[in-house]
Amino acid sequence: MTDGADEEMGMDLQEASAILQETRDRARRALVVRRPVLLAVWGAAWLVSDGAIWLSVRGQRPYNGPTPAALMTLSAAIAAATVFAVIYLGRAGSGVGGLSVLQRRVLLLSYLGGYVALFTLEAAIDHAGASRAVIGVYGAAAPVLLVALIIAASAAVFLNWSLLGLGLWLLAVAAGSGFAGPVTVWAVSALAGGGALLVMAVIGLRRDRS
Amino acid sequence: MSIDGLDPVIHGPARLRIMVTLATLPEGDDLSFSRLQDLLGLTPGNLITHLRKLEDAGYVITVKSGAGVNARTSVSLTYDGRVALDRYTAVLRQLLDAAASPPPSST
Repeated sequence: MTDGADEEMGMDLQEASAILQETRDRARRALVVRRPVLLAVWGAAWLVSDGAIWLSVRGQRPYNGPTPAALMTLSAAIAAATVFAVIYLGRAGSGVGGLSVLQRRVLLLSYLGGYVALFTLEAAIDHAGASRAVIGVYGAAAPVLLVALIIAASAAVFLNWSLLGLGLWLLAVAAGSGFAGPVTVWAVSALAGGGALLVMAVIGLRRDRS
Repeated sequence: MSIDGLDPVIHGPARLRIMVTLATLPEGDDLSFSRLQDLLGLTPGNLITHLRKLEDAGYVITVKSGAGVNARTSVSLTYDGRVALDRYTAVLRQLLDAAASPPPSST
């Protein structure tokens, strides 16, 4: 712990500059949520989970849906990414209150609510007699649509043009990927969805370093 | 070296670190007293003393909320505080640049 005696002694310009820079770096490491890190983790989880499903369905004629092993891979990838995000955001957000915390909670609630709605709608489509192929296309494309809308909403909240670009790209992926059919839609989602998040993460990390 | 033009309220190691740490947060956010203390490694009494000086200058606001085990003291930078830190940083940079540049030739 530092006592207050040094305060009355003042400091020279170099010392002030060094304190300013060191404190800024330390505070950023401790308090700032680095969006590229979260994009990297979720992009990897997305790529692995949808990639695993595509590998499990790619030889199916007719389409029957993903295997239990592929669904377990998806669950494990999402669980791992969720645990990481909770710990990472918890550390950065410890002791922080105010507007950005509220914004983050609203976005998280919208995301979770959106997922519940997606699964409910999928059950309704199944109940209405939709084929496995239709449910396959929906299961791959609908989450992309949800993520796209949440990211676009985040762009409005944080006034971030890169996020808006990513959100619009994912909207296009969601809208167009279904035409690839129930098998290939998973590969398109993995590469154009998860891959896009990873590309954004790399760009963001490089920008942070420069 | 001269420190003319540097805000004397900010120009002290602990107060500068408090201001810079709080400025890292986006406008509208605050930081709990305990997290701020943890980040800066100051004693509670020392941190209170410096916060009071910054508060008197209108640079920070401390807000107490809750009671008992839920009591929380939060600290945030004011708009004036953010402007003052920006000005301090700019003046510091100018002074360092001036000190680094060679004196003009008298011939």
